[in-house]
Amino acid sequence: MNGAAAVTRYTLIELSRRRILLVFFIIGAVGIALLGIGLKVFSSAFSSVVVTGPNGTAPDPAKLQRAFELGFVNDLIGALGFFALLIAFGIGMTVIYHDLESGAAVSIFSKPVSRAAFTIGKVAAAIVAMIVIVGVLSLEARLLMLLFGTGGLGEALWIETVAQVANAITLMLLVMALSTWMNNIVAAIVAFVYNAVAGLVVGLHSQVQAGLLGDNQVLKVGLNIAYWLVPHPLLSDARRQIALAEFELFSSLGEGPRAGQGPTRDQVLAGIPGASGAGDIIWWVFAVCVFTGLAYYAVRRRQV
Amino acid sequence: MAAVVSVEGLRKRYRRRDPWAVDGVSFALEPGQAFGLLGPNGAGKSTVVKIIAGLLRPGEGKVQLFGSDPGDPGARKDLGFAPEDPDFPKFLRATEVLDYFASLLGLDEVERKRRIPETLAFAGLDKERRQIRQYSKGMKQRLGIAQAILGRPKLLILDEPTADLDPLGRRDVRALIDQLKASGVAVLLNSHLLSEVELVCDTVAILARGRVLKEGTMAEVVPEGRNLEDVFVELVQANSPQRDQLPSFIKDQDKS
Repeated sequence: MNGAAAVTRYTLIELSRRRILLVFFIIGAVGIALLGIGLKVFSSAFSSVVVTGPNGTAPDPAKLQRAFELGFVNDLIGALGFFALLIAFGIGMTVIYHDLESGAAVSIFSKPVSRAAFTIGKVAAAIVAMIVIVGVLSLEARLLMLLFGTGGLGEALWIETVAQVANAITLMLLVMALSTWMNNIVAAIVAFVYNAVAGLVVGLHSQVQAGLLGDNQVLKVGLNIAYWLVPHPLLSDARRQIALAEFELFSSLGEGPRAGQGPTRDQVLAGIPGASGAGDIIWWVFAVCVFTGLAYYAVRRRQV
Repeated sequence: MAAVVSVEGLRKRYRRRDPWAVDGVSFALEPGQAFGLLGPNGAGKSTVVKIIAGLLRPGEGKVQLFGSDPGDPGARKDLGFAPEDPDFPKFLRATEVLDYFASLLGLDEVERKRRIPETLAFAGLDKERRQIRQYSKGMKQRLGIAQAILGRPKLLILDEPTADLDPLGRRDVRALIDQLKASGVAVLLNSHLLSEVELVCDTVAILARGRVLKEGTMAEVVPEGRNLEDVFVELVQANSPQRDQLPSFIKDQDKS
Protein backbone atom coordinates (compact mmCIF):
# COMPACT_ATOMS: atom_id res chain seq x y z
CA MET A 1 0.00 0.00 0.00
CA ASN A 2 3.07 2.26 0.18
CA GLY A 3 2.82 2.74 -3.55
CA ALA A 4 -0.82 3.85 -3.37
CA ALA A 5 0.00 6.25 -0.51
CA ALA A 6 2.85 7.80 -2.53
CA VAL A 7 0.59 8.18 -5.57
CA THR A 8 -2.08 9.84 -3.39
CA ARG A 9 0.40 12.20 -1.73
CA TYR A 10 1.99 13.47 -4.92
CA THR A 11 -1.28 13.60 -6.82
CA LEU A 12 -2.64 15.87 -4.08
CA ILE A 13 0.44 18.11 -4.40
CA GLU A 14 -0.12 18.25 -8.14
CA LEU A 15 -3.83 19.01 -7.76
CA SER A 16 -3.06 21.81 -5.32
CA ARG A 17 -0.94 23.45 -8.05
CA ARG A 18 -3.38 23.08 -10.91
CA ARG A 19 -4.61 26.49 -11.96
CA ILE A 20 -7.98 25.28 -13.19
CA LEU A 21 -8.90 23.97 -9.73
CA LEU A 22 -7.59 27.11 -8.08
CA VAL A 23 -9.71 29.23 -10.45
CA PHE A 24 -12.83 27.12 -9.77
CA PHE A 25 -12.20 27.34 -6.04
CA ILE A 26 -11.71 31.12 -6.10
CA ILE A 27 -14.80 31.61 -8.25
CA GLY A 28 -16.75 29.38 -5.85
CA ALA A 29 -15.50 31.18 -2.74
CA VAL A 30 -16.10 34.65 -4.20
CA GLY A 31 -19.45 33.58 -5.66
CA ILE A 32 -20.72 32.27 -2.33
CA ALA A 33 -19.47 35.37 -0.49
CA LEU A 34 -21.13 37.66 -3.05
CA LEU A 35 -24.34 35.68 -2.82
CA GLY A 36 -24.44 36.11 0.95
CA ILE A 37 -23.48 39.76 0.94
CA GLY A 38 -25.75 40.54 -2.02
CA LEU A 39 -28.76 38.96 -0.33
CA LYS A 40 -28.02 40.80 2.89
CA VAL A 41 -27.76 44.14 1.10
CA PHE A 42 -30.90 43.38 -0.92
CA SER A 43 -32.91 42.30 2.13
CA SER A 44 -31.88 45.42 4.08
CA ALA A 45 -32.83 47.68 1.17
CA PHE A 46 -36.08 45.79 0.54
CA SER A 47 -37.10 45.91 4.22
CA SER A 48 -36.77 49.67 4.26
CA VAL A 49 -38.72 50.09 1.00
CA VAL A 50 -41.70 47.83 1.79
CA VAL A 51 -44.04 49.66 4.04
CA THR A 52 -47.26 47.72 3.50
CA GLY A 53 -48.10 44.07 3.13
CA PRO A 54 -50.74 42.45 0.86
CA ASN A 55 -53.59 43.42 3.18
CA GLY A 56 -52.49 46.99 3.68
CA THR A 57 -50.55 46.07 6.80
CA ALA A 58 -46.82 46.26 7.29
CA PRO A 59 -45.26 42.75 7.20
CA ASP A 60 -43.69 41.45 10.35
CA PRO A 61 -39.92 42.30 9.99
CA ALA A 62 -38.99 39.04 11.72
CA LYS A 63 -40.99 37.01 9.18
CA LEU A 64 -39.55 39.01 6.32
CA GLN A 65 -36.06 38.35 7.66
CA ARG A 66 -36.83 34.63 7.91
CA ALA A 67 -38.10 34.59 4.32
CA PHE A 68 -34.78 36.07 3.19
CA GLU A 69 -32.84 33.59 5.29
CA LEU A 70 -34.68 30.66 3.74
CA GLY A 71 -34.04 32.06 0.29
CA PHE A 72 -30.40 32.51 1.18
CA VAL A 73 -30.00 28.90 2.39
CA ASN A 74 -31.78 27.64 -0.72
CA ASP A 75 -29.45 29.63 -3.00
CA LEU A 76 -26.40 28.53 -1.03
CA ILE A 77 -27.32 24.89 -1.52
CA GLY A 78 -27.70 25.50 -5.26
CA ALA A 79 -24.39 27.38 -5.46
CA LEU A 80 -22.51 24.69 -3.53
CA GLY A 81 -23.91 21.97 -5.78
CA PHE A 82 -22.91 23.90 -8.90
CA PHE A 83 -19.33 24.51 -7.75
CA ALA A 84 -18.98 20.91 -6.54
CA LEU A 85 -19.88 19.79 -10.08
CA LEU A 86 -17.36 22.19 -11.65
CA ILE A 87 -14.65 20.87 -9.35
CA ALA A 88 -15.68 17.28 -10.09
CA PHE A 89 -15.07 17.94 -13.78
CA GLY A 90 -11.78 19.77 -13.06
CA ILE A 91 -10.37 16.89 -11.02
CA GLY A 92 -11.87 14.02 -13.02
CA MET A 93 -10.56 15.32 -16.34
CA THR A 94 -6.96 15.65 -15.19
CA VAL A 95 -6.11 13.31 -12.36
CA ILE A 96 -5.28 10.14 -14.33
CA TYR A 97 -5.53 11.38 -17.91
CA HIS A 98 -2.49 13.66 -17.80
CA ASP A 99 -0.20 10.97 -16.39
CA LEU A 100 -1.30 8.50 -19.05
CA GLU A 101 -1.09 10.96 -21.93
CA SER A 102 2.05 12.90 -20.98
CA GLY A 103 4.31 9.87 -20.68
CA ALA A 104 4.71 10.27 -16.91
CA ALA A 105 3.05 6.85 -16.63
CA VAL A 106 6.04 5.28 -18.42
CA SER A 107 8.38 6.25 -15.58
CA ILE A 108 5.82 5.43 -12.90
CA PHE A 109 4.79 2.01 -14.22
CA SER A 110 8.41 0.89 -14.63
CA LYS A 111 8.72 1.17 -10.83
CA PRO A 112 7.62 -1.68 -8.56
CA VAL A 113 4.09 -0.38 -8.20
CA SER A 114 1.03 -2.29 -9.33
CA ARG A 115 -1.53 -0.62 -11.53
CA ALA A 116 -4.16 -1.38 -8.89
CA ALA A 117 -2.14 0.61 -6.32
CA PHE A 118 -1.74 3.43 -8.86
CA THR A 119 -5.50 3.56 -9.50
CA ILE A 120 -6.38 3.37 -5.80
CA GLY A 121 -3.89 6.16 -5.07
CA LYS A 122 -5.36 8.37 -7.79
CA VAL A 123 -8.96 7.75 -6.73
CA ALA A 124 -8.11 8.41 -3.07
CA ALA A 125 -6.36 11.67 -3.98
CA ALA A 126 -9.29 12.81 -6.10
CA ILE A 127 -11.79 12.05 -3.33
CA VAL A 128 -9.69 13.78 -0.67
CA ALA A 129 -9.26 16.84 -2.91
CA MET A 130 -13.00 16.97 -3.57
CA ILE A 131 -13.88 16.68 0.13
CA VAL A 132 -11.37 19.39 1.10
CA ILE A 133 -12.40 21.87 -1.61
CA VAL A 134 -16.16 21.47 -1.16
CA GLY A 135 -15.67 21.28 2.61
CA VAL A 136 -13.93 24.66 2.64
CA LEU A 137 -16.65 26.18 0.44
CA SER A 138 -19.27 24.70 2.72
CA LEU A 139 -17.48 26.11 5.77
CA GLU A 140 -17.56 29.52 4.13
CA ALA A 141 -21.29 29.11 3.48
CA ARG A 142 -21.80 28.10 7.10
CA LEU A 143 -19.90 31.19 8.31
CA LEU A 144 -22.07 33.40 6.13
CA MET A 145 -25.13 31.73 7.61
CA LEU A 146 -23.86 32.46 11.09
CA LEU A 147 -23.47 36.10 10.10
CA PHE A 148 -26.74 36.48 8.26
CA GLY A 149 -28.95 33.81 9.84
CA THR A 150 -29.47 30.12 9.17
CA GLY A 151 -33.24 30.11 8.91
CA GLY A 152 -33.01 27.30 11.47
CA LEU A 153 -31.55 25.04 8.79
CA GLY A 154 -27.88 24.91 9.77
CA GLU A 155 -27.94 21.16 10.32
CA ALA A 156 -29.71 20.55 7.02
CA LEU A 157 -26.99 22.39 5.13
CA TRP A 158 -24.29 20.08 6.51
CA ILE A 159 -26.20 16.98 5.48
CA GLU A 160 -26.90 18.50 2.08
CA THR A 161 -23.17 19.23 1.71
CA VAL A 162 -22.36 15.57 2.39
CA ALA A 163 -24.90 14.52 -0.25
CA GLN A 164 -23.48 17.01 -2.73
CA VAL A 165 -19.92 15.82 -2.13
CA ALA A 166 -21.11 12.23 -2.63
CA ASN A 167 -22.81 13.20 -5.92
CA ALA A 168 -19.79 15.15 -7.09
CA ILE A 169 -17.58 12.12 -6.30
CA THR A 170 -19.74 9.87 -8.48
CA LEU A 171 -19.56 12.31 -11.37
CA MET A 172 -15.82 12.86 -10.87
CA LEU A 173 -15.15 9.11 -10.92
CA LEU A 174 -17.27 8.76 -14.04
CA VAL A 175 -15.24 11.48 -15.81
CA MET A 176 -12.02 9.91 -14.53
CA ALA A 177 -13.02 6.43 -15.66
CA LEU A 178 -14.13 7.68 -19.09
CA SER A 179 -10.94 9.73 -19.52
CA THR A 180 -8.87 6.56 -19.21
CA TRP A 181 -10.68 5.24 -22.30
CA MET A 182 -11.06 8.42 -24.36
CA ASN A 183 -9.99 12.04 -24.69
CA ASN A 184 -10.73 13.92 -21.46
CA ILE A 185 -12.87 16.60 -23.11
CA VAL A 186 -15.04 13.97 -24.79
CA ALA A 187 -15.21 12.19 -21.42
CA ALA A 188 -16.44 15.38 -19.75
CA ILE A 189 -19.10 15.90 -22.42
CA VAL A 190 -20.33 12.30 -22.10
CA ALA A 191 -20.43 12.62 -18.28
CA PHE A 192 -22.25 15.96 -18.54
CA VAL A 193 -24.95 14.46 -20.77
CA TYR A 194 -25.19 11.43 -18.49
CA ASN A 195 -25.57 13.69 -15.44
CA ALA A 196 -28.33 15.66 -17.13
CA VAL A 197 -30.17 12.46 -18.06
CA ALA A 198 -29.76 11.13 -14.50
CA GLY A 199 -31.14 14.42 -13.10
CA LEU A 200 -34.11 14.24 -15.45
CA VAL A 201 -34.85 10.63 -14.53
CA VAL A 202 -34.68 11.43 -10.81
CA GLY A 203 -36.95 14.46 -11.24
CA LEU A 204 -39.54 12.51 -13.26
CA HIS A 205 -39.35 9.57 -10.86
CA SER A 206 -40.09 11.87 -7.96
CA GLN A 207 -43.05 13.42 -9.82
CA VAL A 208 -44.45 9.99 -10.66
CA GLN A 209 -44.05 8.81 -7.07
CA ALA A 210 -45.99 11.87 -5.91
CA GLY A 211 -48.74 11.11 -8.43
CA LEU A 212 -48.18 14.41 -10.22
CA LEU A 213 -47.90 12.77 -13.65
CA GLY A 214 -51.13 10.83 -13.45
CA ASP A 215 -51.59 7.14 -12.83
CA ASN A 216 -50.03 5.67 -15.94
CA GLN A 217 -48.61 2.29 -14.82
CA VAL A 218 -46.32 1.91 -17.84
CA LEU A 219 -44.74 5.29 -17.12
CA LYS A 220 -44.43 4.41 -13.45
CA VAL A 221 -42.72 1.08 -14.10
CA GLY A 222 -40.52 2.56 -16.84
CA LEU A 223 -39.32 5.41 -14.65
CA ASN A 224 -38.80 3.08 -11.72
CA ILE A 225 -36.55 0.89 -13.87
CA ALA A 226 -34.71 3.93 -15.24
CA TYR A 227 -34.27 5.30 -11.70
CA TRP A 228 -32.52 2.13 -10.57
CA LEU A 229 -30.43 1.90 -13.72
CA VAL A 230 -28.75 5.30 -13.50
CA PRO A 231 -26.52 6.18 -10.55
CA HIS A 232 -28.89 8.79 -9.24
CA PRO A 233 -27.87 11.66 -6.99
CA LEU A 234 -28.16 11.32 -3.24
CA LEU A 235 -30.49 13.81 -1.59
CA SER A 236 -30.85 15.22 1.88
CA ASP A 237 -34.04 16.46 3.45
CA ALA A 238 -32.91 20.08 3.15
CA ARG A 239 -35.08 21.03 0.17
CA ARG A 240 -38.20 19.62 1.85
CA GLN A 241 -37.34 21.41 5.08
CA ILE A 242 -36.93 24.70 3.22
CA ALA A 243 -40.20 24.19 1.33
CA LEU A 244 -41.98 23.33 4.57
CA ALA A 245 -40.54 26.34 6.38
CA GLU A 246 -41.56 28.61 3.49
CA PHE A 247 -45.04 27.09 3.44
CA GLU A 248 -45.49 27.67 7.16
CA LEU A 249 -44.15 31.20 6.88
CA PHE A 250 -46.42 32.18 4.00
CA SER A 251 -49.44 30.38 5.53
CA SER A 252 -49.10 32.56 8.60
CA LEU A 253 -49.00 35.63 6.38
CA GLY A 254 -52.16 34.68 4.49
CA GLU A 255 -54.83 36.21 6.65
CA GLY A 256 -56.84 38.06 3.99
CA PRO A 257 -59.74 37.13 1.71
CA ARG A 258 -57.53 34.63 -0.26
CA ALA A 259 -56.58 32.74 2.89
CA GLY A 260 -57.11 28.99 2.59
CA GLN A 261 -57.07 29.02 -1.25
CA GLY A 262 -53.40 28.03 -1.70
CA PRO A 263 -51.94 24.53 -1.95
CA THR A 264 -51.99 22.31 1.14
CA ARG A 265 -48.86 21.26 3.02
CA ASP A 266 -48.92 17.81 1.44
CA GLN A 267 -49.34 19.25 -2.05
CA VAL A 268 -46.30 21.48 -1.53
CA LEU A 269 -44.13 18.62 -0.30
CA ALA A 270 -45.37 16.03 -2.81
CA GLY A 271 -43.24 17.21 -5.72
CA ILE A 272 -40.05 17.56 -3.70
CA PRO A 273 -37.97 14.40 -3.38
CA GLY A 274 -37.19 13.38 0.20
CA ALA A 275 -33.91 12.20 1.69
CA SER A 276 -32.28 9.21 0.04
CA GLY A 277 -32.82 5.86 1.71
CA ALA A 278 -30.46 2.97 2.43
CA GLY A 279 -31.12 1.52 -1.02
CA ASP A 280 -29.98 4.76 -2.68
CA ILE A 281 -26.82 4.83 -0.56
CA ILE A 282 -26.00 1.22 -1.39
CA TRP A 283 -26.57 2.02 -5.06
CA TRP A 284 -24.20 5.00 -4.72
CA VAL A 285 -21.49 2.78 -3.19
CA PHE A 286 -22.01 0.30 -6.02
CA ALA A 287 -21.67 3.09 -8.64
CA VAL A 288 -18.45 4.33 -6.98
CA CYS A 289 -17.04 0.78 -7.05
CA VAL A 290 -18.07 0.28 -10.68
CA PHE A 291 -16.48 3.56 -11.86
CA THR A 292 -13.29 2.85 -9.90
CA GLY A 293 -13.25 -0.66 -11.38
CA LEU A 294 -13.67 0.77 -14.88
CA ALA A 295 -10.75 3.14 -14.33
CA TYR A 296 -8.60 0.29 -12.99
CA TYR A 297 -9.50 -1.97 -15.91
CA ALA A 298 -8.47 0.74 -18.38
CA VAL A 299 -5.23 1.51 -16.51
CA ARG A 300 -4.36 -2.19 -16.30
CA ARG A 301 -4.91 -2.70 -20.01
CA ARG A 302 -3.12 0.47 -20.98
CA GLN A 303 0.16 -0.09 -22.82
CA VAL A 304 2.31 2.98 -22.38
CA MET B 1 25.41 -17.02 -13.73
CA ALA B 2 21.65 -16.34 -13.78
CA ALA B 3 20.52 -14.03 -16.54
CA VAL B 4 19.20 -10.63 -15.51
CA VAL B 5 16.99 -10.57 -18.57
CA SER B 6 16.15 -13.36 -20.92
CA VAL B 7 14.13 -12.84 -24.08
CA GLU B 8 13.11 -15.85 -26.14
CA GLY B 9 11.28 -15.75 -29.45
CA LEU B 10 9.63 -12.42 -28.59
CA ARG B 11 6.96 -11.22 -30.99
CA LYS B 12 4.74 -8.21 -30.63
CA ARG B 13 2.34 -6.29 -32.77
CA TYR B 14 0.10 -3.45 -31.66
CA ARG B 15 -3.01 -4.38 -33.63
CA ARG B 16 -4.09 -7.65 -35.16
CA ARG B 17 -3.70 -6.41 -38.74
CA ASP B 18 -0.40 -4.58 -38.14
CA PRO B 19 2.91 -6.14 -39.15
CA TRP B 20 5.02 -7.51 -36.30
CA ALA B 21 6.84 -4.65 -34.58
CA VAL B 22 9.10 -7.24 -32.97
CA ASP B 23 9.48 -10.58 -34.69
CA GLY B 24 11.32 -13.43 -33.02
CA VAL B 25 13.87 -11.54 -30.95
CA SER B 26 15.97 -13.55 -28.50
CA PHE B 27 18.84 -12.53 -26.27
CA ALA B 28 20.01 -12.74 -22.68
CA LEU B 29 21.81 -10.26 -20.47
CA GLU B 30 24.04 -11.15 -17.55
CA PRO B 31 25.22 -9.08 -14.58
CA GLY B 32 27.99 -6.61 -15.45
CA GLN B 33 27.25 -6.88 -19.17
CA ALA B 34 26.46 -3.90 -21.38
CA PHE B 35 24.21 -4.84 -24.26
CA GLY B 36 23.57 -2.46 -27.16
CA LEU B 37 20.30 -2.69 -29.05
CA LEU B 38 20.73 -0.95 -32.39
CA GLY B 39 18.50 -0.34 -35.34
CA PRO B 40 16.97 2.30 -37.60
CA ASN B 41 13.80 4.18 -36.65
CA GLY B 42 10.86 1.80 -36.26
CA ALA B 43 13.10 -1.25 -35.87
CA GLY B 44 11.32 -2.29 -32.66
CA LYS B 45 14.04 -1.37 -30.14
CA SER B 46 11.80 0.70 -27.85
CA THR B 47 9.08 -1.96 -28.03
CA VAL B 48 11.58 -4.57 -26.79
CA VAL B 49 12.77 -2.46 -23.86
CA LYS B 50 9.21 -1.47 -22.91
CA ILE B 51 8.23 -5.13 -22.78
CA ILE B 52 11.22 -5.85 -20.54
CA ALA B 53 10.18 -2.92 -18.30
CA GLY B 54 6.65 -4.34 -17.97
CA LEU B 55 5.05 -1.44 -19.85
CA LEU B 56 3.88 -3.49 -22.83
CA ARG B 57 2.59 -7.03 -22.92
CA PRO B 58 4.45 -9.44 -25.22
CA GLY B 59 2.43 -10.97 -28.04
CA GLU B 60 4.31 -14.27 -28.21
CA GLY B 61 7.48 -15.64 -26.70
CA LYS B 62 8.89 -15.46 -23.21
CA VAL B 63 10.45 -12.54 -21.37
CA GLN B 64 11.88 -12.88 -17.89
CA LEU B 65 13.21 -10.11 -15.70
CA PHE B 66 15.23 -11.43 -12.75
CA GLY B 67 13.51 -14.76 -13.34
CA SER B 68 9.97 -13.34 -13.16
CA ASP B 69 7.34 -11.89 -15.44
CA PRO B 70 8.08 -8.15 -15.94
CA GLY B 71 4.37 -7.46 -15.37
CA ASP B 72 4.86 -8.50 -11.74
CA PRO B 73 5.74 -5.34 -9.74
CA GLY B 74 8.21 -7.31 -7.58
CA ALA B 75 10.26 -8.15 -10.68
CA ARG B 76 10.83 -4.44 -11.33
CA LYS B 77 12.31 -3.76 -7.90
CA ASP B 78 15.87 -3.85 -9.22
CA LEU B 79 15.12 -2.26 -12.56
CA GLY B 80 16.09 1.27 -13.55
CA PHE B 81 14.47 2.50 -16.73
CA ALA B 82 15.26 5.78 -18.44
CA PRO B 83 12.68 6.08 -21.22
CA GLU B 84 13.14 7.82 -24.54
CA ASP B 85 11.65 11.32 -24.36
CA PRO B 86 10.86 11.04 -20.63
CA ASP B 87 8.08 12.95 -18.92
CA PHE B 88 6.94 13.37 -15.33
CA PRO B 89 4.01 14.82 -13.38
CA LYS B 90 4.35 18.36 -14.66
CA PHE B 91 3.42 20.32 -11.55
CA LEU B 92 6.08 18.66 -9.38
CA ARG B 93 9.67 19.76 -8.87
CA ALA B 94 12.68 17.51 -9.50
CA THR B 95 13.16 16.80 -5.77
CA GLU B 96 9.50 15.86 -5.44
CA VAL B 97 9.63 13.60 -8.49
CA LEU B 98 12.59 11.74 -7.04
CA ASP B 99 10.94 11.52 -3.62
CA TYR B 100 7.78 10.20 -5.28
CA PHE B 101 9.73 7.54 -7.18
CA ALA B 102 11.84 6.71 -4.11
CA SER B 103 8.57 6.01 -2.25
CA LEU B 104 7.45 3.73 -5.09
CA LEU B 105 10.79 1.96 -4.83
CA GLY B 106 10.21 1.47 -1.11
CA LEU B 107 13.26 3.48 0.02
CA ASP B 108 13.10 4.58 3.64
CA GLU B 109 13.41 8.18 4.85
CA VAL B 110 17.15 7.92 5.63
CA GLU B 111 18.00 6.50 2.22
CA ARG B 112 15.82 9.08 0.50
CA LYS B 113 17.56 11.93 2.27
CA ARG B 114 20.93 10.53 1.30
CA ARG B 115 20.27 9.54 -2.28
CA ILE B 116 18.03 12.30 -3.63
CA PRO B 117 20.43 15.26 -3.26
CA GLU B 118 23.33 13.20 -4.61
CA THR B 119 21.30 11.98 -7.57
CA LEU B 120 20.12 15.51 -8.34
CA ALA B 121 23.69 16.77 -8.14
CA PHE B 122 24.78 14.05 -10.55
CA ALA B 123 22.03 15.11 -12.96
CA GLY B 124 22.97 18.78 -12.57
CA LEU B 125 19.51 19.60 -11.26
CA ASP B 126 20.35 20.23 -7.59
CA LYS B 127 19.86 23.99 -7.91
CA GLU B 128 16.69 23.69 -9.98
CA ARG B 129 13.54 24.91 -8.24
CA ARG B 130 11.13 25.15 -11.18
CA GLN B 131 8.30 22.73 -11.89
CA ILE B 132 8.79 20.03 -14.54
CA ARG B 133 6.46 21.81 -16.98
CA GLN B 134 9.14 24.51 -17.30
CA TYR B 135 11.95 22.05 -18.08
CA SER B 136 13.67 21.71 -21.44
CA LYS B 137 13.88 18.32 -23.13
CA GLY B 138 17.51 17.98 -22.04
CA MET B 139 16.62 18.66 -18.40
CA LYS B 140 13.86 16.06 -18.54
CA GLN B 141 16.31 13.60 -20.02
CA ARG B 142 18.72 14.25 -17.15
CA LEU B 143 15.92 13.69 -14.66
CA GLY B 144 14.95 10.54 -16.54
CA ILE B 145 18.44 9.14 -16.00
CA ALA B 146 18.47 10.34 -12.38
CA GLN B 147 15.23 8.52 -11.50
CA ALA B 148 16.50 5.40 -13.25
CA ILE B 149 19.59 5.12 -11.04
CA LEU B 150 17.88 6.23 -7.81
CA GLY B 151 16.99 2.70 -6.72
CA ARG B 152 20.59 1.44 -7.31
CA PRO B 153 19.30 -0.99 -9.95
CA LYS B 154 20.81 -4.30 -10.98
CA LEU B 155 19.58 -3.69 -14.51
CA LEU B 156 19.65 -0.26 -16.09
CA ILE B 157 17.76 0.22 -19.33
CA LEU B 158 18.67 3.38 -21.19
CA ASP B 159 16.45 4.15 -24.19
CA GLU B 160 18.18 6.80 -26.31
CA PRO B 161 19.68 8.31 -23.15
CA THR B 162 21.82 10.93 -24.81
CA ALA B 163 19.49 12.08 -27.60
CA ASP B 164 18.80 15.47 -26.00
CA LEU B 165 21.97 15.85 -23.97
CA ASP B 166 24.85 18.22 -24.58
CA PRO B 167 28.39 16.78 -24.99
CA LEU B 168 29.09 17.14 -21.25
CA GLY B 169 25.93 15.23 -20.41
CA ARG B 170 26.89 12.50 -22.86
CA ARG B 171 30.28 12.16 -21.26
CA ASP B 172 28.62 11.86 -17.81
CA VAL B 173 26.33 9.11 -19.08
CA ARG B 174 29.28 7.19 -20.54
CA ALA B 175 31.13 7.47 -17.23
CA LEU B 176 27.99 6.32 -15.41
CA ILE B 177 27.64 3.24 -17.61
CA ASP B 178 31.33 2.34 -17.11
CA GLN B 179 30.99 2.73 -13.35
CA LEU B 180 27.80 0.65 -13.18
CA LYS B 181 29.27 -2.10 -15.36
CA ALA B 182 32.29 -2.29 -13.12
CA SER B 183 30.05 -2.74 -10.09
CA GLY B 184 28.17 -5.64 -11.71
CA VAL B 185 25.12 -3.80 -13.01
CA ALA B 186 23.76 -4.99 -16.34
CA VAL B 187 23.11 -2.20 -18.84
CA LEU B 188 20.79 -2.38 -21.82
CA LEU B 189 21.52 0.55 -24.10
CA ASN B 190 19.26 1.50 -26.92
CA SER B 191 20.87 4.18 -29.06
CA HIS B 192 21.36 5.62 -32.51
CA LEU B 193 24.76 6.96 -31.57
CA LEU B 194 26.87 4.08 -32.79
CA SER B 195 30.17 5.55 -31.72
CA GLU B 196 28.83 5.70 -28.18
CA VAL B 197 27.60 2.11 -28.30
CA GLU B 198 30.97 1.01 -29.63
CA LEU B 199 32.64 2.67 -26.65
CA VAL B 200 30.54 1.18 -23.86
CA CYS B 201 28.89 -2.06 -25.01
CA ASP B 202 30.33 -5.56 -24.85
CA THR B 203 27.59 -7.16 -26.91
CA VAL B 204 25.26 -5.76 -29.57
CA ALA B 205 22.22 -6.81 -31.54
CA ILE B 206 21.25 -5.01 -34.74
CA LEU B 207 17.52 -4.96 -35.42
CA ALA B 208 15.59 -3.95 -38.53
CA ARG B 209 11.85 -4.30 -39.04
CA GLY B 210 11.53 -6.18 -35.79
CA ARG B 211 14.11 -8.87 -36.53
CA VAL B 212 17.63 -9.38 -35.28
CA LEU B 213 20.00 -9.08 -38.24
CA LYS B 214 23.19 -9.72 -36.35
CA GLU B 215 24.07 -10.33 -32.73
CA GLY B 216 27.27 -11.03 -30.86
CA THR B 217 30.20 -9.51 -29.05
CA MET B 218 31.58 -6.31 -30.49
CA ALA B 219 34.49 -8.26 -31.99
CA GLU B 220 32.10 -10.74 -33.63
CA VAL B 221 29.85 -8.06 -35.11
CA VAL B 222 32.55 -5.58 -36.18
CA PRO B 223 35.37 -7.23 -38.14
CA GLU B 224 38.93 -5.97 -37.78
CA GLY B 225 39.54 -2.73 -39.69
CA ARG B 226 35.89 -1.72 -39.89
CA ASN B 227 33.67 0.26 -37.56
CA LEU B 228 30.18 -0.33 -36.19
CA GLU B 229 28.61 2.35 -38.35
CA ASP B 230 29.78 0.69 -41.61
CA VAL B 231 28.48 -2.70 -40.46
CA PHE B 232 25.18 -1.17 -39.34
CA VAL B 233 24.55 0.74 -42.57
CA GLU B 234 25.47 -2.25 -44.71
CA LEU B 235 23.19 -4.62 -42.79
CA VAL B 236 20.24 -2.27 -42.57
CA GLN B 237 20.40 -1.22 -46.22
CA ALA B 238 20.57 -4.83 -47.33
CA ASN B 239 17.40 -5.56 -45.34
CA SER B 240 15.36 -2.45 -46.12
CA PRO B 241 13.38 -1.48 -49.20
CA GLN B 242 15.32 0.87 -51.48
CA ARG B 243 14.67 4.50 -50.60
CA ASP B 244 15.01 7.51 -52.86
CA GLN B 245 17.97 9.48 -51.68
CA LEU B 246 16.47 12.94 -52.14
CA PRO B 247 12.98 14.32 -52.86
CA SER B 248 12.51 15.27 -56.53
CA PHE B 249 11.93 18.98 -55.78
CA ILE B 250 15.35 19.15 -54.14
CA LYS B 251 16.98 17.35 -57.08
CA ASP B 252 15.26 19.75 -59.54
CA GLN B 253 16.54 22.73 -57.62
CA ASP B 254 20.04 21.28 -57.88
CA LYS B 255 19.80 21.10 -61.73
CA SER B 256 18.57 24.68 -62.13
